[in-house]
Amino acid sequence: MSSTKDFIIEQLKEEISGFKSEVSEKSVGRVLKVSDGIALVSGLSEAMMSEILKFKTEKGDITGVALNLEENLVGAIILGDFTAIKEGDEVQATKRILEVPVGEAVIGRVLNPLGEPLDGKGKVETNKFYPVEKIAPGVITRASVKEPVQTGIKAIDAMIPIGRGQRELIIGDRQLGKTALAIDTIINQKGQNMKCVYVAIGQKESKIANIVSKLTENGAMEYTTVVLAGASNSASLLYIAPYAGCAMAEYFLDKGEDVLIIYDDLSKHAVSYREISLLLRRPPGREAYPGDVFYLHSRLLERACKLNKEYGGGSITALPIIETQAGDLSAYIPTNVISITDGQIFLEPDLFYKGNRPAVNAGLSVSRVGSSAQIKAMKKVAGKMRLEAAQYRELAAFAQFGSDLDEDTKKKLERGKRLYEIFKQDQYMPLSVAKQVIIYYSLINGFLDDVPVEKTREFESALYKYADLNDGVLKLIEEKKELDEEIENKIKQLVNDCKATVDYLIK
Amino acid sequence: MKISAQQYALSLYQLVEGKPENEVKKILKNFVVFLNKNLDFNKVNEITNSFVKIWNFEHGELSAELVSAREFGPTAKEIVIDYLKEKSGAKKVLLNEIEDKDILGGFILKYDNKIVDGSLKNSLEELKIKIEA
Repeated sequence: MSSTKDFIIEQLKEEISGFKSEVSEKSVGRVLKVSDGIALVSGLSEAMMSEILKFKTEKGDITGVALNLEENLVGAIILGDFTAIKEGDEVQATKRILEVPVGEAVIGRVLNPLGEPLDGKGKVETNKFYPVEKIAPGVITRASVKEPVQTGIKAIDAMIPIGRGQRELIIGDRQLGKTALAIDTIINQKGQNMKCVYVAIGQKESKIANIVSKLTENGAMEYTTVVLAGASNSASLLYIAPYAGCAMAEYFLDKGEDVLIIYDDLSKHAVSYREISLLLRRPPGREAYPGDVFYLHSRLLERACKLNKEYGGGSITALPIIETQAGDLSAYIPTNVISITDGQIFLEPDLFYKGNRPAVNAGLSVSRVGSSAQIKAMKKVAGKMRLEAAQYRELAAFAQFGSDLDEDTKKKLERGKRLYEIFKQDQYMPLSVAKQVIIYYSLINGFLDDVPVEKTREFESALYKYADLNDGVLKLIEEKKELDEEIENKIKQLVNDCKATVDYLIK
Repeated sequence: MKISAQQYALSLYQLVEGKPENEVKKILKNFVVFLNKNLDFNKVNEITNSFVKIWNFEHGELSAELVSAREFGPTAKEIVIDYLKEKSGAKKVLLNEIEDKDILGGFILKYDNKIVDGSLKNSLEELKIKIEA
């Protein structure tokens, strides 16, 4: 017992004698003005861009970040309680660029953009930090997108496929299920060797609590980090949130892993940046956004990438979300982000209210690089299916005017109706790629033509249950990733067997 | 066009530089009238601050503040002044000494927008942060 006591005291003495308080010159300034999360500081002649500043207040130190370096002034955003800062308070430069904790310890956590816990599970145990702002990987380090991200959403995986390292925008009005798409995608990443980061920017905290509980329920928090800058946080925190989330993702990228990051949503991010810019007296431009609002998003989304083998082969797939006002795609921020990303998923109110959920508009949605990432089996069925969908849309519009239709047209319309039934999918029910291949294969080969339209979904779920029981086919598709004769025969067999168990077929 | 406090201070310095006292008085009178005309009285504090800075810079003077728990001896003071001269390139150092028992020991030196905190209080605080971490 006494030896431990001595040991502890010995250690403590050693610690204290080893502690050298370093006296060094520090650059200081004084607060001239504080307003709405922004401070103007005099002095600080050696401050760097996005350097961490410490505001010495009566209530302790408050962190800030230098954002405007002027001749005699430094404009800083305050990442804390700005009401505690008074005019004349001392400000110290730290010679450190803003950074966040990264590492395995952030997984399963809900953090604020500074990496501080919001989930009551204690401090993030890591000693690694990454700078929040980082230049995106260059051309030499990149590879083309070739592996798929399985979102588990039928309409997307077939028609608007997303590859690992792609940036795919999810765009639509409020309340159309943009976040739902993203959350379903996270849930479907279980066992897909993918880490996920969900960045909530200016969202209601109740909504995030809901999302976190849903993710936990589905076992998705085992590979997910939530970065939350809520609606009640200051604009400065909202502004750095996506960059902080991206820094956390970059840790896994550097380890050669694949990461999926969701920015929900970037329109609120642009609004928070507008607020900061106007308070810093930067000149406003279109819609009062500052001139560099394009760079704001381009530098963020450019950090999503697929690295080549020599650089670890990791990837960051980004799914930014933009909320439009009354479907106005040609507003400033939506056009900017559309032009930055490699495609967009457009959600439409008309489809949503007709009951087609997810309300993905197949005509306006595109994926510019994803098709090369689809597995062969999916590519084979999806090509034909996309044609089928396009023909149906055309014919459906045309058929409204006349009732006399030839047999061929009628057939196409009937099949199209079934296709749109299949596109319907419930929330939190992502579907494996093998099951998607089975249902699409059945459709394009006319196996579903004798299933009544209103019974299509019922038959679909029966078919999945049946496939689960005879898991030979699902496994084969997942292993081979191709549609050979053997698998095709097995699917035919499966569908026929399933049909024998139902009694609503059209004779 | 708006005139900044710094521009005011610089012009004032250029006007009064090397002038005898009675002339300076006249210049100051005109300067105040000019300020009034431009409705810039609220900038007086900034102007005086800038003026002091310009004056010190032009004359190679440096004003510094030395906070210590006990009064510094002449040799120690000499070392501090030499340090300041070397760091800032000033020819003359105006050292304002303040005694403050609250810092426990050591000293805090403030000049320009720099601070050298060698106080015992600060070291203890740093030690506290290190032990807590």
